[in-house]
Amino acid sequence: MDGLYIGSFAHALGAQQRHIRESAEAGLLRSAPEDLEAAGFRRHHVCEPGDTAYDLAHAAVAQIAARGDLTDIDAIVYATCLPGGETGTGPVRDVKELMDFPAGRLQAEFGLSRAIVVGLHQQACTGALGALRVAGALLATEPDWRRVLCVTADRFPAGAWYEQAYNLISDGAAACVVGRDPDVCRLLTVHQITNGGLGRAGDDETVGTYFAYTHRLVRQAAARVGLTPADLDWVVTQNTHEKAWEILARLLGLDHARVWAPTLADVGHVISADALVNLSALLGSGRARPGQRIAVPMAGFGLNWQCAVLEVAA
Amino acid sequence: MSTLITGADGYLGRRIAAALRGQDLILAVRCADETELDHKRARLAHVADAPVVPVDLRDADPFARVDPRQVTRIIHAAAVIRFDVTRDTADQVNVAGTARVREFAHRCDRLDQLMLLSTLYSAGRRRGEVHETRHDDAGFVNHYEWSKWAAEECLLDPPGLPVTVARLPTLIADDTTGAVAQYNAFHHTMRLYHAGLLTLLPGDPATPLSLATAEFTVDAVTALLAAPPGVYQICPGPVTLGAAIDTAFAVFEHDPGFRRRMLPRPIPCDQASFHDMAQAAQRLRGGPLQPALASVTPFAEQLYLPKHFRTDRLRAAWPGYRAQDATALVAAACTDLIERSFRVTAN
Repeated sequence: MDGLYIGSFAHALGAQQRHIRESAEAGLLRSAPEDLEAAGFRRHHVCEPGDTAYDLAHAAVAQIAARGDLTDIDAIVYATCLPGGETGTGPVRDVKELMDFPAGRLQAEFGLSRAIVVGLHQQACTGALGALRVAGALLATEPDWRRVLCVTADRFPAGAWYEQAYNLISDGAAACVVGRDPDVCRLLTVHQITNGGLGRAGDDETVGTYFAYTHRLVRQAAARVGLTPADLDWVVTQNTHEKAWEILARLLGLDHARVWAPTLADVGHVISADALVNLSALLGSGRARPGQRIAVPMAGFGLNWQCAVLEVAA
Repeated sequence: MSTLITGADGYLGRRIAAALRGQDLILAVRCADETELDHKRARLAHVADAPVVPVDLRDADPFARVDPRQVTRIIHAAAVIRFDVTRDTADQVNVAGTARVREFAHRCDRLDQLMLLSTLYSAGRRRGEVHETRHDDAGFVNHYEWSKWAAEECLLDPPGLPVTVARLPTLIADDTTGAVAQYNAFHHTMRLYHAGLLTLLPGDPATPLSLATAEFTVDAVTALLAAPPGVYQICPGPVTLGAAIDTAFAVFEHDPGFRRRMLPRPIPCDQASFHDMAQAAQRLRGGPLQPALASVTPFAEQLYLPKHFRTDRLRAAWPGYRAQDATALVAAACTDLIERSFRVTAN
């Protein structure tokens, strides 16, 4: 991924911020709230009843537009793990009703007339990094293109548990731009592992395989850019059980102080957006210095694992 | 001349009774009432033609129904053998129970031998070479180990009784065919790996494991009935933890269902990481992980404490001693577990 940069990070979360105990009382959780609190979760964000995943995506992209960064967009790559559109209650006669085109709606809404659209929906909680990888591939094969807008958005349907694989879930979206012009980070690589044999893995298998695969993922991702895990200056993680990365840091030979997930307690796991929320927080904190290398690993159902490696540019 | 076997209906006690079939035996079993006693008598009738008496080692006089004048040999096999046993239960059954066996033994005027079935892990936290001698207190990783060490001390400390301590290995199969009739930490761990519920490996892959069949162990115990008193370590030849895991996965990978799931081999982790993972897993709601980990976690620390058990005394006392191929045994046991879909029925 030579000569690619990433920046213009933005995110939007469900409008209702709830304490974990409120959600437990409302029947939105599977685990006892004290068990999720022991994992590090405290609050999460849930959409207002009429809000959709598209609304969240729109809100995130609108922030980029407001900053004047939504220019020269040649493609939109839109990732979601819940791609179903709005459907009625009766039998479907015209299957168009089952189709949904949120990336196309963003293109039209923000006047991105020259952008083509790509959808990703089989990478679950790793989709945001899949979008970065596809963006990089598109830029590699289209020499005249300059910038690709990457978006991820998910909103759980009414009545769904806001808990997956023992993680507290928030509705939310995140967006960023991958392009050729210098930006806050260089995008060095995105590495992916898929094990379709575990495509229907339950929560316990998902947790059980998490350590071996994430260990492998980070090592392989680092190796793709000539590094070892110990060479990484930061590891920006998803918001998951706080013990998970204490363990993984030891296994990978990393200083746990370099593991960054400051929004765990108050944002929760936003499908594939929370790692980008944490990345924004790191870049906004001023602690990441030019030249430092950042790994952003994600794990998701499917089962999928992806890890991006970035270098702070400015 | 009669041999009293405590825990005679247990996994090993039953097999020892069968091996001594034809000798005068008294089979002591724990039972809640006459109905259970009748049930156990019926089961043991297939093993040996011998009287079955109720003995609960938690009672003040557990051997009230045994005539000490008849007893010339005691094989004390009764014990709680769970790694997650509480200190209180371990103390009541394994330590105080052994003290009651000792008291009874003192009343047996014709006693030739009192054999305690102990464990290699009465060595506790010590590392390196472990000799067939009395242990001092090196600390223990669970209450079970402590209680078996304390039981040894209970018999070895005051002289005067013809005590044999047989320290047993981890039994993972009935015999070299690999047939598994009883689960322990080994089988629970294999089930977790096969199910993809665990991908961390607690322990140093170089740590030797002492795994054996019940058949080998019973042969050793019966051979030691003719040996002088003392401490013996029944260890058939070790396999390293890493080799055992590689062997198990090589077997699992012949299973099409396992192969399709492409499960990774576990990665060795440090003790703190495994402890953190096990602690966190305790708060995962009601899945299959917790009960299986409950049997593995209290033992996991031992996998960081490599021990090499000396067997000089055993081999001198047992001319028939033959080292067993522990790698082949792991393969056979794992094959059996897969063929049974990890379901085990006690025979």
